[in-house]
This record gives sequence, C-alpha cells and structure tokens, in this order.
Amino acid sequence: MWGYDNMDVSQYLEIFLDETKEHLQSLSDQLMTLEQEPDNMNTINEIFRAAHSLKGMSGTMGYKRMQNLTHDMENVFSEVRNGAILVQSNLIDLLFQCVDALEEYTSNIQSTSDEGTNDNEHLIKALNNILENGKSGLDQPAARQVVEKPVEKPVAQAVISDKEGKWNQINLGDSQKVVIKKAIEMGKNVHGITVYVQETCILKAARAFLVYKALEEIGEILVSSPSAQDIEDEKFELDFSLIFVTSQTCDKVSAAIMRVSEIEAAVVDQFDTSGFQVEEAPKLDALSGESKNQMQVSVTNDSISMDNKTEKKQVPGKPIVNRTVRVDIDKLDVLMNLVSELIIAKNSLVSASKTDAGVNRLGVNEQIEYLESVTTNLHESVMKVRMVPIESVVAKFPKMIRDLSKKLDKKMQLIMSGEETELDRTVVDEIGDPLMHLLRNSADHGLESSAIRKERGKPETGSIHLRAFQDGNNVVIEVKDDGNGIDVATVRNKAIERGIISAEQAENMQDKDIVDLLFLPSFSTAKQVSDVSGRGVGLDVVKSKIEALSGDVEVKTKLGEGSTFTIRLPLTLAIIQALMVVVGGEKYAISLGSIVTIEDIEQKDIKFVQTKEVINLRGAVLPLIRLNKVLDIDSKADPDASLIVVVVKKGEKLAGLVVDELMGQQEIVIKSLGKYINKSKLISGATILGDGEVALIIDANTLI
Amino acid sequence: MEQLSVGYDSIQFVIVKFGDEQFGIDIKFIDNIVRMQRITRVPKVQHYFKGVINLRGEIIPVMSIRLKMGLEEDEVKRTTRIIIIKMEGNDAVGLLVDEVLEVVTLSSSQIERVVYDSKEEKANFIFGVGKDKEKLISLLDLNLVLADKDGN
Repeated sequence: MWGYDNMDVSQYLEIFLDETKEHLQSLSDQLMTLEQEPDNMNTINEIFRAAHSLKGMSGTMGYKRMQNLTHDMENVFSEVRNGAILVQSNLIDLLFQCVDALEEYTSNIQSTSDEGTNDNEHLIKALNNILENGKSGLDQPAARQVVEKPVEKPVAQAVISDKEGKWNQINLGDSQKVVIKKAIEMGKNVHGITVYVQETCILKAARAFLVYKALEEIGEILVSSPSAQDIEDEKFELDFSLIFVTSQTCDKVSAAIMRVSEIEAAVVDQFDTSGFQVEEAPKLDALSGESKNQMQVSVTNDSISMDNKTEKKQVPGKPIVNRTVRVDIDKLDVLMNLVSELIIAKNSLVSASKTDAGVNRLGVNEQIEYLESVTTNLHESVMKVRMVPIESVVAKFPKMIRDLSKKLDKKMQLIMSGEETELDRTVVDEIGDPLMHLLRNSADHGLESSAIRKERGKPETGSIHLRAFQDGNNVVIEVKDDGNGIDVATVRNKAIERGIISAEQAENMQDKDIVDLLFLPSFSTAKQVSDVSGRGVGLDVVKSKIEALSGDVEVKTKLGEGSTFTIRLPLTLAIIQALMVVVGGEKYAISLGSIVTIEDIEQKDIKFVQTKEVINLRGAVLPLIRLNKVLDIDSKADPDASLIVVVVKKGEKLAGLVVDELMGQQEIVIKSLGKYINKSKLISGATILGDGEVALIIDANTLI
Repeated sequence: MEQLSVGYDSIQFVIVKFGDEQFGIDIKFIDNIVRMQRITRVPKVQHYFKGVINLRGEIIPVMSIRLKMGLEEDEVKRTTRIIIIKMEGNDAVGLLVDEVLEVVTLSSSQIERVVYDSKEEKANFIFGVGKDKEKLISLLDLNLVLADKDGN
C-alpha cells in the first residue's frame, strides 16, 4: 500500500495531514482570489506552489492517486503561469472540484491512513483536456515547457550547474582513504555526491532517507557528511554529501537520486584519488585489514539505525492521528515562567512554615496570596494554550458559499469578520457543523433569488455576514442575512398543522416564541426539500449541538429584511470565575460572565406586573426570580429585610435573582454530575470548594 | 448485560443490608465502599437521588435503593455506607445501604435465577437468589437498579 515499501512514514502522517490541510486551504483561498482577478500573477504562483508541495508530499507518503491529481493540476498551472492557458470560469470550477477530491483523499487518509480507491479519472481527463487545448491554442516553445514543467523527474542532465559538489570538502580519515583506494583497485566506481534538497521541502529527513535507500540498492555509502544520524534527525541545511562505492556510472547514480521527489539537484562526480597519498605496500595490508573492519562496523551501525526505523512499519487501517494544538512558543514561555514562579512560591511557603510558628503567620498569608495569583495566571495561560482562532473552521465557508451560489443560482456574497476570535479547541472542533448549517440555511431559505431581490429594490447580490466577537466570558458568533426573513405566519400555520401547538395557543404566542418553534425537532418550513437544506433535521440539531457546548442560539428576524442567528458560547469549558451565593443554607455558584450587578432592593420597591414580581432598576423593569423557589428550598433570609438581588443578563434581557447571602467571587472548576442524574438544565454542573464541600453551578441563562 | 455467564464457577458478592433483607452485589462492579458523608442535594432530579458527594475530587451522584424500590426513606445510622459502583464504560454512582455485612463466594449451583415480573417493586431489581448456608440472599441486578425507569 505504500509507495516505498520499507519506508516508515507513519511518524510523518500527522505533519503530512496538517500541512496538507493548510495547503488545501491556501489553494482554495487563492482560487477564490483568482476567480476575482484572473490575471493576478502572485495568486497563480501561490497556487502553483501549493499544488507542487501537495504533489511532493503525497508522493513521499506514497499516496499515488493524490499525487497524480496534484501533478496534473500543477501542469495546468504551469501553463497558466506561462500564459499558455487563460483562466476561465470553467477552469476555476474544475480546479475547485479537484480541491474537493483532494479533501476527500485527505479525510480518507485521516480516518484510515489510506487514500481510498477513487482515481478521479474524470478530473484528470478534464485537466489534460484543458492542457491540450491550451497548448494547441497558443504557440509555445516546447523546449521551455520541458524545463518549466517537472512532468517527468529531470534526470542527470537536469543537474543545475550552479550547484557545486560540496563533497570535496569532506575530510577523509586515513582509513577511509585506504578503503576508497582499495575499492578503486577492485575496479569499482567511487563517486562523490552532493544532494540538494528543494528549499520548499518539508520532510527533509524523509527525502534524505529515500536517497539513502535508493543508493544502498545499487552500492555502498562509505562516508556521509553530515553523519547518517544527523541526517535522520534533520540536522542539515539543504544539502548533504556522500562518498559512494558502486559498479554503476555517474549518470545511473544521479538518475537514482533524482527519482526521489523534491530533490533539487544531485551532483555526482568521479572520485579523484590524486588528491591524497596512501602509504605503500606492507604496512598497508595490515592497516587496511583493520580499517576495513572498522569501516564496515560504522556502515553497519548506520544501516542498523535505519533498519530500526523501517521496522516500525505501520499497521494498515489504523489512523494514528492525535488531536493536537499548535502552540505559539511565546505562550509556552509564559507557562514556563509561571511554573518557575509556582516553585518559588512553594519553596517560600516551606521556609515560612519552618520558621517559628505563629510569629510568621503574616509571611504565610503573604505567600498564599502570591500562590493564588500565580495559579490564576497559570490557569489563564493554560487556557490560552488551548485556545485556537475560529479561523480554522470558518476559512472553508467562502468556498462553500461560492458553491452554493452556483448550485442555487442565486447571487450571494459572504462577509466575514472576527476570524481571529479565539475559542477553546474542543469548542472550535464542534462549532463547524452548526455554523455550516446556519449558513446553508441563510443561503437557501433566507436569501431570495436575484429577480425577486431586484423587484424588492434590494441589491441583486445577497449578503451573508458571519461575525465573531468576544463579549465578556462569552464568544458570540452571528450569522446574518439580508434576505426574506422568517415568515412568522407561515411558521405559525405550520406549527398548528403539525399539531405542535393548538390554534388557541398560537393566538397567545408572541412572534418571538413562534420563531423559536423552528428549533424544535422535525420542523422545516421549506416548501420543497432541497439538496442544500430543509430536510427537517436542521435547526434542532444546531440547537442541541450548541447546547451541548453549554452555549445557546437565538434568532431575530424581520420579514422582508432578513434574519440574524446569534450563537453564544462560553470562552472555556473547564474553569470559570463565579460568584458564590447561599440560598436556604445551600451554596451555589453563578458564572460571573452572566452577572451584571448586585443590588440591594427594599421590600417596598417590589412591584407586580401580571402577578409577577418585578423591580424597576434605573429605568429598566426586570423580573424578580426567587432562587429558593426555583431550587425547592426554604429561604433562611429575614422576610422583612431588604433583598439581595443578583442581576444577570442573557443577550439584552435582564433578570434579578434573589439570594439569601453573598459569599464572594471564586475561581471554580466545573465538574459534570454524570449521566445517571436526570438534572434540569438549571444546574449546569458542580464544583468542589476549598473545604471539600460540593456546590452546584446555576446556569442563569435558563432562568431568563 | 453483564450477568453470570456459563463457565463462571463462582462469583463473589458483597452482602449489604437495607430494611430487613440482605442483598448481594457482584464485587466486580464495586469500586469502593465509603462511610456516610455530607451529601449535597441537587434540586429537580429523580426522587431517589439523594444528591452528590465529593469523592477525592470526583463528583459522584448518590442514589437511595430504598427510595428506588419504593421503600421508606433511609435513616442514616453509624453503619450506613455508600457503595461506589463503576460499571464498564459508565460514570461512577453511589448506592446508599444500611450496612455492609460480609463478602461471600457463591458457586453457580448456589444461585437460583428468578425470571418473573412481580408486582412487588423490589423483586424487579434482582436477577437471582443465592443460598449461602441457611441464608437467602437477593442478588441485585445493577443494570435494573441503575436504569432510569421514570425517565422524566
């Protein structure tokens, strides 16, 4: 299954997938740009480079189909670069299809470590057609193409002359000289070789290893500079030199090396023995016998280290791809500093406790405060390490919207902002699907066709905005379109028709509540089930997924003007700042992120609206929620005293939570209650307090 | 479902007591047995969940088998223990029992299976009756005990 049977590539698989995804993303981005500016030379070069790197990488990893496809793409781009082929929309379409096919290969590789069996012949054929037509269309000097297009790997002739044979600089020991001399006497060819790896090459060690392998098949490597071990550890620049004994000619050796991809050039020369003198006969025999042994030992050592590598052959069908986060080295430095501080704090505590008890109480307290600040910072930094920008998820959307635009035959554009907004890695991984769903929804149901838009006096091209930003302890992602908006009447009728609500209920429901019905399972208002969205498995999935991430989703809509879906996600899942409160003798935590203020409200200030308690807070009327009632417990606060009200917000809505007592702010670690307990949404988890006691965490969002 | 399979010659059971009856719990599902400790009430959950405890940094829900079986409320005594159950692939859960008595080993010949759907609630949580010397021990089927039948 691998191109190079004995080559162990599994250790590179992760890098390969990472890099491939990056290249594919850049390919797709650049294609989008190219579509707008077909003459942009920079973009064309960028695409060519991306295709070329992909080809090289997939080749090394032995993914032949992927290599073939990228190879043909590269060919087409080489022609585009030469001006032999003009960029037209059909070419762009085809190239996008190729990107899709490559993505498929990549996902196959990720899950099974095999690229799959789809040859994508139609794409390759189409690419070749374009290539043919383009060539015949324009008069291009054939010779130039041969040089420009690396269709076949250039052989010995292609050795670039400005590369010099650095092997001359290798310092040979006497024993090595003897062996070389001996080899020549035996009628073997001794070559000095310098191999140049391409600058863009990512897996230099892997290339070098392949060169080694290729050479060992036809002869014996006597000397290597840098040493085989260093090469294996990638401790070399772009070139490495070898002294090689073989019965083959220079050309053959050169061809063997150039068969390895991403090798820029290989300089192969006949080794010149005139440069060194070896002492004569009698002594020599003894010496050479000894040194030859030595030589062989060292050579075998090298090959042993290589063999070890090959033995870890990958078991097919087992993807060994871990979830990783690329971490900015600066962030790690900060972490390291904090850990050192932690150790210092610990040591100070130890010494403080050793000095006279009681006298040094102050010192201990001081150290504890110091420790506290260090741990807080440590937590923050670790959290930052886990944070990745949502860019990795949203970057694929422009292409998706472009595809949808063609498919639905509607003109639309996607405007994104805030791609740099960071979220916890686990959240970023999960948020892609719901977002994609909302975007498709907007494109399919939201935006009207161009004709209707014109009629309504809107710009012909519909706009979808994807906006992300941080808001306190939350990250908000908005999907907004300027389309038709949601027709509340249709939703109402549909809900009644489906028996979700009764006609009387519908009478009393506000428009907002009706719109929220869309988030119920199996509710799709699309008149026709389309390929894009509207199978009735839409918004409820979005909602449940986002709720699983402890977030929530809201919709605002205005008929004829468009709708906005707002997703609100917690910045991090594990640790939050919380306000500890006491209700009926029990301790509860409320996330600081949702708290606006804490108010002291006199009994007489409580007003009633529709028999519900409300308070008027600086002009805003907000409902009063007695936490003790919600939590089924008796309040222990004095019923005549003024109330302690924690004002919380969700979006723009406010509510006041009445608690018995405030304990203060604390950093808490969120723990799950497990799946046996059928808890209400009100309790989002639990945490362990300093004294070992368990306190439940109240999700204030569910109360509003 | 984890049950006795043929070929198991003997199984060890931890014998616990609640009410007047003795029950056996397969020892392989028992992670730990801890003394009664402060249980934090969780509002709005199934009535038989007493709340959660902190066991070495882990939050573990504690359930009353008595309430689940429709018996009267537990009375916390000096002998009251919480048995921490951990079934493969599941979260840990604690069971409140009046007393832990002993560990007995029963061979398959000493176990008589029951397969009836009794009207009496507690009979629906056992998979068999073990005979140890002169004693009869109801063997708890933990899957049934932990199943959430009310499903609200």
